[in-house]
Amino acid sequence: MLLVTGWGAWAQETFPRNDVKDNRAGQYAFTNATIVVDPQTTLQNATLLIKGNKVEQVGSNLSVPKGYATIDLKGKYIYPSLIDMFSNYGLPDVERPSGNRFSGPEQTQSKTKGAYNANQAVRAHYNAADEFTIDTKAAEELRKSGFGAVLTTKFDGLARGTSAFVSLNEKNDNTALIKQKAAAQFSFSKGSSTQTYPVSLMGFIAVLRQTQMDADWFGSQNPRPFADNSLEAWIQNQRLPQVFEANSWANILRADKLGDEFGVQYIIKGGGDEYQRINEVKAANASLIVPINFPDAYDVEDPFDAQKVSLEEMKHWELAPANLAALEKNGINFSITASGLKKASDFLPNMRKAIANGLTEATALKALTTTPAQLLKIDDQVGSLKKGMLANFIITSGKLFDDKTVIYQNWIQGDHYAIKPLNVKDHSGNYNLSINGQTYNLEITGDAGSHKAKIKTGDTSLDANATFDNDLITLTFKPEKESKGSIRLSGWSEGNGWKGKGQLIDGTWVSWTGNRTGDIAQSANNAAGDTAKEELGKVIFPFNGHGYPALPATETILIKNATVWTNESDGILQNTDVLLKDGKISKIGKNLSDGGAKVVDGTGKHLTAGIIDEHSHIGAASINDVATNSGMVRIGDVIDSEAINIYRALAGGVVAVQVLHGSANPIGGQSALIKLRWGESPENLKIKGADGFIKFALGENVKRSSNSSSIRYPQTRMGVEQVYVDAFTNALEYEKMWNAYNNLSAKVKPTALKPRRDLADETMLEILRKKRFISCHSYVQSEINMLMKVAEQFDFRVNTFTHILEGYKVADKMAEHGVAASTFADWWNYKWEVRYAIPHNAAIMHRAGVLTAINSDDAEMGRRLNQEAAKSIKYAGMSEEDAWKMVTLNPAKMLHLDDQMGSIKAGKSADVVLWNDHPLSVYAKPLKTIIDGKVYFDVEKDEANNKALDVERARLIQKLKGAKKSGNPTQRGEGRIQLQFHCDDIMGLETEG
Amino acid sequence: MKKLNYILALVLFTGTYAMAQKPVPAPPQSKPIAITGGTAHIGNGQIIENALITFDKGKLTNVVDGSTAKIDLSGYEVINASGKHIYPGFILPNSQVGLEEVSSVRAMSDSNEEGDMNPNVRSVISYNADSEFPPTFRFNGVLLAETTPTGGTISGTSSLMEMEGWNWEDALHTEDIGVHMNWPAISKRQFSFATFSFTESPNKEYDNEVTNLEHFFMDAVAYGNQANKEVNLKMAAMQGLFDGTKTLFIHTNNPKEIVIAIRTAQKYGVKRITLIAAEGALMVADFLKENKIPVILPATHNLPPRTDDEVDLPYKLPHLLTQAGIMVSLSEDGSLHGSRNLGFFAGTAVAYGMGKEDALKTITSNTAKALGVDARVGTLETGKDATLFVSEGDALDYRTNVLSHAFIRGKNITLPGNQQELYERYSKKYGQK
Repeated sequence: MLLVTGWGAWAQETFPRNDVKDNRAGQYAFTNATIVVDPQTTLQNATLLIKGNKVEQVGSNLSVPKGYATIDLKGKYIYPSLIDMFSNYGLPDVERPSGNRFSGPEQTQSKTKGAYNANQAVRAHYNAADEFTIDTKAAEELRKSGFGAVLTTKFDGLARGTSAFVSLNEKNDNTALIKQKAAAQFSFSKGSSTQTYPVSLMGFIAVLRQTQMDADWFGSQNPRPFADNSLEAWIQNQRLPQVFEANSWANILRADKLGDEFGVQYIIKGGGDEYQRINEVKAANASLIVPINFPDAYDVEDPFDAQKVSLEEMKHWELAPANLAALEKNGINFSITASGLKKASDFLPNMRKAIANGLTEATALKALTTTPAQLLKIDDQVGSLKKGMLANFIITSGKLFDDKTVIYQNWIQGDHYAIKPLNVKDHSGNYNLSINGQTYNLEITGDAGSHKAKIKTGDTSLDANATFDNDLITLTFKPEKESKGSIRLSGWSEGNGWKGKGQLIDGTWVSWTGNRTGDIAQSANNAAGDTAKEELGKVIFPFNGHGYPALPATETILIKNATVWTNESDGILQNTDVLLKDGKISKIGKNLSDGGAKVVDGTGKHLTAGIIDEHSHIGAASINDVATNSGMVRIGDVIDSEAINIYRALAGGVVAVQVLHGSANPIGGQSALIKLRWGESPENLKIKGADGFIKFALGENVKRSSNSSSIRYPQTRMGVEQVYVDAFTNALEYEKMWNAYNNLSAKVKPTALKPRRDLADETMLEILRKKRFISCHSYVQSEINMLMKVAEQFDFRVNTFTHILEGYKVADKMAEHGVAASTFADWWNYKWEVRYAIPHNAAIMHRAGVLTAINSDDAEMGRRLNQEAAKSIKYAGMSEEDAWKMVTLNPAKMLHLDDQMGSIKAGKSADVVLWNDHPLSVYAKPLKTIIDGKVYFDVEKDEANNKALDVERARLIQKLKGAKKSGNPTQRGEGRIQLQFHCDDIMGLETEG
Repeated sequence: MKKLNYILALVLFTGTYAMAQKPVPAPPQSKPIAITGGTAHIGNGQIIENALITFDKGKLTNVVDGSTAKIDLSGYEVINASGKHIYPGFILPNSQVGLEEVSSVRAMSDSNEEGDMNPNVRSVISYNADSEFPPTFRFNGVLLAETTPTGGTISGTSSLMEMEGWNWEDALHTEDIGVHMNWPAISKRQFSFATFSFTESPNKEYDNEVTNLEHFFMDAVAYGNQANKEVNLKMAAMQGLFDGTKTLFIHTNNPKEIVIAIRTAQKYGVKRITLIAAEGALMVADFLKENKIPVILPATHNLPPRTDDEVDLPYKLPHLLTQAGIMVSLSEDGSLHGSRNLGFFAGTAVAYGMGKEDALKTITSNTAKALGVDARVGTLETGKDATLFVSEGDALDYRTNVLSHAFIRGKNITLPGNQQELYERYSKKYGQK
């Protein structure tokens, strides 16, 4: 790229010179242009004056002062150049350690040398300005799309330090760097960190949460208790705009919620899928940075291969270009980024697609100029063309987002970067081509700069080829169809036509002329561009192959004449009616009626309380983190409302599950209790007001038996016990320390050192103070016994042993301790510690007085828990009512939900299942699964929805085929399969509980 | 149900219980046995109420309607099965029983040999007759299982084992029934940490891999026609495929691969082919029907492979394939500990469309045919092995699959095992009994 001008060298005064001084004034007048001063203000026939790197004046009736070079832009447009808020322009790419597997020796400490944060992924001390250097190739690509400046961030770490605001000039780094610390940056990605913790999304959130608290504590102390350059920088950076890379609507909500905990409003970079949950995104009330990297069409020619493309992918392909329009319609403040585009040159075409799908041009322009400028608090320098602002603007042939508009020049800080020649003559028209007495018709079509030519004699088209170079033309053609050679002409534009020299086929030199005879007849083809606008498919909830266009409403439902399994002293009632009203079980009895109720015939059917799975890993975006004490990690931070296994479980009669952390650590993360409200947002799945629970784990998994090179403490069951004793001992110390502080007199307190908040300690303390309850993964009798002893030593009780496959060996001790048991029906022998598991375990514990449940730890088994419960009848002769309670009332009790769930009793939540058969039979299927009085699964609606989605799929396949046919790039289906989680899954690669 | 519990208690706690951990293998049948008055599920779709079943020296001698048949039962040990149900022993195909034990312990794994083409490795000689699994299988009616090598392109040769025996020779039912082959994958799967999901991309080696495999078959056919030859163990192990004495078990679930694999096997004259596939088979059901290829399904207590699939697809797959005219068998490829639930996989198939007797076929006669052992097992028919069991009720449902007797080739086998012994021990400890 040629740098044409060289106004002033003010920024280079300190640099040595290697030439004579060449400081020019840099005074330019751009006249007769349509000037878009800002997205609200457009001046016709106006003038822009710039001086040096700044705008001097802009207006309609300006006279050009003396000493200004004038550039006539008649018919052309000037726009402020665009701003991209999400870029790593001029910064190195970040190498990530390959994989994140938990299979080698763990790295428990940060490897960053120096006085930096304890976690290697906290890089708040980093400043992009320190490393930024111009990248001419990348700058040129960005300028071609109309960008003049970007916010550049090194994409490394959960806390990424500061980003710099830089222009895209190629002059030198010193002038390109406009603002050194323009924003603080955060993400849900570890970047280059090799430290083992954290490995999961919930671990990332936990680290950010703890570090924010650490910074608050650290900042409140003078002198600091120790040096930490990262925390120091974190504190300093809090005054800057805070930008968070989230990359999906779900992560937007997570980032926003995290910010809310600390009164921080992040500017959040989304993923272009915000339309899928537009209401929730709107409610977050965050300004967004949105990409326009719309997916390519899928190649669906082969019906077998097309199976690999999910409905979700097809629908996203169709709806992604309408995302920005949805954001605009909902009044969400956003800027647009070119980040994520496969080719930089896709930027303007994709903007045009977004506009064709309903985004207004004014909002588009705002999102690329004033919005980012305001968000970064540099709207006094960039984003519009007002006096004193940087002379960053583009010159275009027409309205920026029109299909045919070209960008001629991109001016950055008063420097001119050419993209296309500014004054290209339009030669289109018909010409009378005269060569050596012969005449032909020459037809030149296309736009200036991209002309094409045809030559005819009479009605016959000749084989012709033409190239144009502004005012020069080269023409070759066969004078007759059968000619053995071509006439070759070279010429130049002259007046209204052409003149030149050339050679005939035999080599004879001749002169030629082409006189313009008129315009090209406008073809009617133009109209074809605006064919009737196609209807787009509907957004469904969740956005996948089993989503519904609308969520179910609370209904009044009267189930008549069913066999009702009450789980209460009434036992199993025959020919009984149950009325569900206002989300509750309203009445149970005979001959009930309710005028407004929808009546369901229950004859021959069974109505039960909905199944509750005490141990599940469905509906979460991650399951395990890896710190030995992961008490600060929360499953509730990463609920995944779109997980298909939620629906599959619903179809198996499950209404609620405890989403447990995995078993990678003695002290796992906090669990979440959710109801399977299919289609609702992540937050709405959570059971409000439920008690807090936490996962503990014992045995082979926590001592890392599958990893022979593990070095993480503990490696033995002896060490596991010490982890607990240590954690609870520390928690008591922690409490003491805070009590001492809180009890200080009002006089002393302000000057006293405030203790540091530690979220792991606080979690342990919640357990000791009976505000959080343990569900402990356990297998062999020694360790079961051990944890009960530890709990008794610290004066609390273990709430539940989960899996507990050798519970039958210590059932008497468990009953005495008062712990509940949630076990597998018949799993055994898949690892050493489950060798002596027996299918009679549940029955023995139950008979010994232990509150017992059957759980799944498995998305498949989780949808057949009624069958799993039946196994205790088969193997150990348990009564049917007791067996049934093991998957309903008993888990409700363990989860402290039995006041509202687990039985059919007036006043409890209407969380019930209607079965076609005896619910403990292998032949039973749920007909309806009802939660809060809303029918979330209905076997008939499921069937109808499957058909509707098949129709939608077929429509999209035809549309995709059309897109391929009209030349759009395509991608092949990848057959993406989301991983199913089990307890052991670190990054999901290991299996089985 | 109360009554059933009572019966169950009787079954479990009568006398035989003071035994060691693993039940002692039973002696050969010493006198003729008659089972009277029960409902016989033949395994071929038929039911005989009030059946009279007799067997001697390990073979069935009569399976008839007891209300009309006139057979002198003097000298018989008579088992009154009135109100009960009699089934042919369930057959578990494509299992690693005896080759794998505790799956997480490497030292206990003997199913996957090094190398890509291993038709010569034979599962039977690795079969651990003292495995802890068979007692749990037969407790639920699974009396026969195919012990099957895994891995590579040609994994090895499988055998059919009885779930009882002092050693592998004793437990062997039919030696070397077939060769297992994993067809090369057109697409390879890879895991992405970024999206936490598996994706597929074309396998660039596919053409090479197929060519190698074709040459292996080509060479094996040629080897069979060579007069004077150097002995080649691999080539020799393939010969049974061409004379129909062994079955070729093709493992692939990709519809295109299914067609190509079967076409290729047919091209080289493989006489007996069985496909091991899931929903992929449904897409080429017509092709499979025309070519009369039986299908063994992996565990149907499984999740649908794709988000978009109907939630109950794996459950109804046996029914859908049967409706399409394909002979279907069920298996449990995922876990050995889950294999004792084979009967309940069939039960689930009933819940999702199949008739009960048709579902029974998928774990008895269909499987026997798919494995090429139907001359001896799979149905309750005169002349076949007396490998059968008596259940208190419907053996496809949990609450009623309660076995009172089981016979393997007439041997009256002991049903309770280690797990029942532990149940007994601890029930007593807590005074629950």
